[in-house]
Amino acid sequence: MVVALSAVFAVGLGSSLVAATAASAKAKPKAVSTAVEKPGSATVTETGSTLLYPLWNIWVPAYTQKYPSVSITTNGTGSGTGIADATNGTIDIGSSDAYLPPSTVQATPTLENIPLAISVQVIAYNLPGVTAHLNLSGKMLSSIYQGKITMWNDPAIAAANPNVTLPATPIVALHRSDGSGDTFIFSQYLSDSDKNGWGKTVGYGTSVQWPTTPGGLGENGNGGMVTGCSKTVGCIAYVGISYLSQLLGDGLFYAALQNGKGQYELPTSAAVAAEAKYFLKKTPADGTISLIDGPVKGGYPIINYEYAIVNTQQSNASTAKAMRSLLEWAVNPKFGNSSQYLSQVSFQPLPTKLLTNSLKQIHKIS
Amino acid sequence: MSAFVPFVALVLTVFVLAFKAWPAITVNGVHFLVGSSWKPGNVYGAVSTTGGVAHPFGSSYGAWPAIAGTLESSAIAIVIAVPVSIGAAFALTERLPRWLAEILRSAIEILAGVPSVLLGLWGALTLGPLLANDVYPIVANHMPDVPFFSFFRGPTGHGEGLLTSGIVLSLMIIPIVASTTRNLFAQVPALPKEGGEALGMTDWEVGRKITIPWVRAGIIGATVLGLGRALGETIAVAMISGSLLNTIAPNIYGTMGTVAATLVTQLDSAFADGTGFEVRTLAELAVVLVIVVLIVNTVARIIVRRTGHLAAPVGGVI
Amino acid sequence: MVVGGARVASDGYPSTHRRRIADRVFRAFTLLALLVIVAPVIWVIAGIVARAVPHWRWSVLTTNTVGAGGGLDNAILGSLAIMLGVLIVAGIFGVLGGVYLAELAGFNRNGKQRGAVLRSATEVLAGVPSIALGLVGYLALVVEFHWGFSVLAAVIVLSVIVIPYIARGTEVALRQVPTNYREGAEALGMSTGYSLRKVVVRSAIPGIATSLLIALAISVGETAPMLYTAGWFTGTPKASLFHQPIGYLTYPVWTFWDYPSDQAHYLAFDAALILLVMVLVLLVIARLVVARSQRFAENRRN
Repeated sequence: MVVALSAVFAVGLGSSLVAATAASAKAKPKAVSTAVEKPGSATVTETGSTLLYPLWNIWVPAYTQKYPSVSITTNGTGSGTGIADATNGTIDIGSSDAYLPPSTVQATPTLENIPLAISVQVIAYNLPGVTAHLNLSGKMLSSIYQGKITMWNDPAIAAANPNVTLPATPIVALHRSDGSGDTFIFSQYLSDSDKNGWGKTVGYGTSVQWPTTPGGLGENGNGGMVTGCSKTVGCIAYVGISYLSQLLGDGLFYAALQNGKGQYELPTSAAVAAEAKYFLKKTPADGTISLIDGPVKGGYPIINYEYAIVNTQQSNASTAKAMRSLLEWAVNPKFGNSSQYLSQVSFQPLPTKLLTNSLKQIHKIS
Repeated sequence: MSAFVPFVALVLTVFVLAFKAWPAITVNGVHFLVGSSWKPGNVYGAVSTTGGVAHPFGSSYGAWPAIAGTLESSAIAIVIAVPVSIGAAFALTERLPRWLAEILRSAIEILAGVPSVLLGLWGALTLGPLLANDVYPIVANHMPDVPFFSFFRGPTGHGEGLLTSGIVLSLMIIPIVASTTRNLFAQVPALPKEGGEALGMTDWEVGRKITIPWVRAGIIGATVLGLGRALGETIAVAMISGSLLNTIAPNIYGTMGTVAATLVTQLDSAFADGTGFEVRTLAELAVVLVIVVLIVNTVARIIVRRTGHLAAPVGGVI
Repeated sequence: MVVGGARVASDGYPSTHRRRIADRVFRAFTLLALLVIVAPVIWVIAGIVARAVPHWRWSVLTTNTVGAGGGLDNAILGSLAIMLGVLIVAGIFGVLGGVYLAELAGFNRNGKQRGAVLRSATEVLAGVPSIALGLVGYLALVVEFHWGFSVLAAVIVLSVIVIPYIARGTEVALRQVPTNYREGAEALGMSTGYSLRKVVVRSAIPGIATSLLIALAISVGETAPMLYTAGWFTGTPKASLFHQPIGYLTYPVWTFWDYPSDQAHYLAFDAALILLVMVLVLLVIARLVVARSQRFAENRRN
C-alpha cells in the first residue's frame, strides 16, 4: 500500500518530467556530463541522516584532498533534521534516508531530493547465546513494537525459528528519539506488512507515535541505537547498514527479514540488488519512492535511496558551485560511488539510469 | 538603558513564543495538557485544516507524559536534594572543622559549575549502569507490594529512566538549595542559638527548634527555587531519561521523557513538517514550561524575600 | 522561639539518652550530607579524567575535528571566541544594568523604588529555562531573520542567559561598598557619575569580576541552546557573524559519547576533560579574586 501510494504521488510529480524526457528523446539524447566541476573557495555544511553520516565521513576527506579549497562540515543529526534544515535554509546539504514530504515540497518548491546511493536497514538484537540470524517478519516486529510480543521465546518468534533455542529474555524495543529516515523506512515496512494493525494505528513517518513497550528506549541517531543495544540485553533495534561493523564488533547480531514473497532473507548484496532492480523501473526522475517490501523473490525488504536534500536556489554562488562539485563527485562511479568507499559502509552504487537523473538534479543547483 | 535589556529580552521571548504557539494552542486545546499521545501525524499524507490552521493528517498532540515525567523527576530530585542541602548548610554554618567545611564549600561550587552535559555523561556511563546492576534490583526485590511502595517494584531497566534522572537532577539543584539555605542560616541571630545552648540543648535541638523554624519559610522558598531549576533542566535528562514521548514511567525505574528533553530532541527535525505545525506545537510546549517555571520561581522569590534577601546571585553559586 | 512540642520523659524532661542519640544521628546525617555532595563531585571529575587521560593525544589541541574523529582545535577556539563575545555583550549590558539597579534607581516621589519592574524582569529572566531561550533564538534569529547558525545568534542567546547573573552580581557587589566611601566622595565634591566611576565601582570590581567569571563558566558549559544557535563547524572559526556556524566544546560530548567508534568516544571524553579544566580554572580564578579582595579589605580596616 505504501509503495503504491508513493508511486502514485511520484507519478503526479514526475509527469512533467516524463514529458520533458520524451521531448529530449526525439532530439537525440544528449549524454549528461559526469564531469566534476572545480570549486573555488567555499564552506559547505551537511547535516542529517546518521545512516549516511559514516559515508560522508569517508567521502569528505577524499574529496577535500582533491579540492582543498572547500571546507566541509558533516553532522549526524537524523534525517528529519536534514530535511528540516535544508528546508529552512540553515544548512547547505541535508542528508536523508526518507524523501521529502509533499507538504514540504509544496511550501518550498525549489527543494530536491537527490539519490546518492542505495542503503539497507538491518534489524539488530542483543541476545547472548543466540548466534544465529533469527527469522523475523514485519508482523512480529509490529507486535514487538506495540508491546504485544514482550518475550524473546514468544511462540510467534519460536515458530519462525524452529532450530534456535530462544531464551526467556524480555524484549527491549529501541526506537529513534530524533526525526529519522530509518524510522521512516522501518515504519513503512511495519505498515506494509501489518496493514490493519500498525498501518492503521501508527502509520509511518520520520517520527511516529511509538506505542508504549516494556522498558522501551528512545535513542539519538544510529550511533545511539548501536550503543544502547549493546549495553541492553534483550534489545531489538533497527539500524542502518553503515553501522554493520560497529554492530558486529559490539556483539550484536542481525535478523533475516520476511520479504513480500514470504521468504526470510539476509541483507546480502544479491538480495539488496534484487529488491533494487525491482523498484528501479518504478523510480521516477526525482527519485521519490520507497523501496520497501516489494514482491521480489530473494529480495531483502527494507532498502532505500540515500538522498541529498538541497535547495536548488542558493544565495551564494561559490557555495552553490562547491555543492554541485561535491555531489557530482559523490555520485560519480569513479569517485564517490566507487566500491572503494561504498563497500566500507555496505552501500550499493546508483544504477546508471538513476545516476543520470541525479546529475540532472544536481545541475539545477545555482 | 542597559537595565532594560533583561526586560526587553523577556518581552521578546514571550512575544516570539506566543506568536509561534498561538495557532497550535487553538488547535491542540486543553487536550494538549491532559492527552497522552504525541502524534506528529502523517507528514507524507494529506494536509488537514482545523480552524484555519494547517496540520498533517492525523496529528494530535498530548504532552501529559512529558509533563508527568517532568513533575516526577523533579519531585524525586527535591526529595533527595532538600535534606542533603539542609544537612550541608548545617555543616557549613555550624558543625564542621574549617578545612572540611572548605572542602564542602568547594564541592558545592564545583557542582554548580560543572556543565550539565558532563553530569549527563556521568549519569549515562557510570551512575546509571551501576545503579541498574547493583542497587535497583535489590531495592525492587525488597519493597512491599502495597500502594506507593509498589511503585518501587518491577523491572529495573538498564540505568536510563526516572530514578536515575531524579538522582542526577538532585545533584544539579543541591548547590542552589544548599547555598540559599546556608545564607538563611547565617542570618539566624547568634543570641537565641547561644541561649539554647546555654539551656543545655544539643546541636540537634538547637537546629530543629531554633535555626530551622527561624528560616522555615526561606527553606521552602529555596526548595521551590531548586524545583524551578529541575523542571527546566534539559541536556542531562535527555541523555539519561530514555527520551520517550508517549510513555509515563510504569515504575520508578521506568524510561520516560520530560518537557525540556522533548524540546531539545524534537525541535531540530520539526521543520520537516511542511505545515509548520510541529514547530508551533513545540513552541506551545515551551510556553507551558516557561509558565510553570515562572510561577514556581515567583512563588519561591516571594517566600525567600519575606524571610530575608538572597545574598547570592539568584539561583547561582555561593 | 519554640521549645514546646518535644517528646518528654515521664519526669517531664526529655530523656538524656534519647537526646544524645538524636544528636548523634544529627551529626551523622550532617556528615552523610557532606559525603553525598563531595563524593559525586570527585567521582565525576575522576571519571572524566580516567576516561580521557589514557588515550590523550596532545594533537587534540592543534587539529580540527574530521567527521567523528580528529581533534578539537576548532571547538576550543570556537568556545573561546563565543566566551569573548559573551564577555563583551553580556559584560557591558550586565554590569551597566547592575550599576543602574544599585545606584541610579532611587526612590521616586511616591516613595516607591524605581527599577522594581526592571529588577523583577532580571530575576524572572534568570529563571527561564535555557532551552526555551535557545528555542526562541533558533526560531527568531536563526530561521526567521535568516542569520543561519551563527556566532552572533549564539552570543546573543548566551548573553541573555547570563546577563541576569552579572547584573545581580554587580548590584550585590555595589551594595556591599560601604556607605562612607560614597559619603566621602560626596564630601570631596565629586559628582555622582565621577564618584561612581572612581570610587564605588572600583571598590566593587572583585565582586563584578567574580560574576563575570561565573557567567563565562555558565556559557562555556551550555549545550541545548548552542545546538540551535551555533550549529556545528569542523573548520577553524571564521571572522563572520552571520551564516557561519562555529564549533564549541559541549557539542562533541553530547554527540559523540554514544557514537559507536572508539575515536568518537575519545573525542567526547577529551572534550569533557577540556571543558572541565576550563570551568575549574574559571572557578579557581573567581575564588582567588574573592580571597584577594577580602584580604585587601581586611588590611584596609587595620
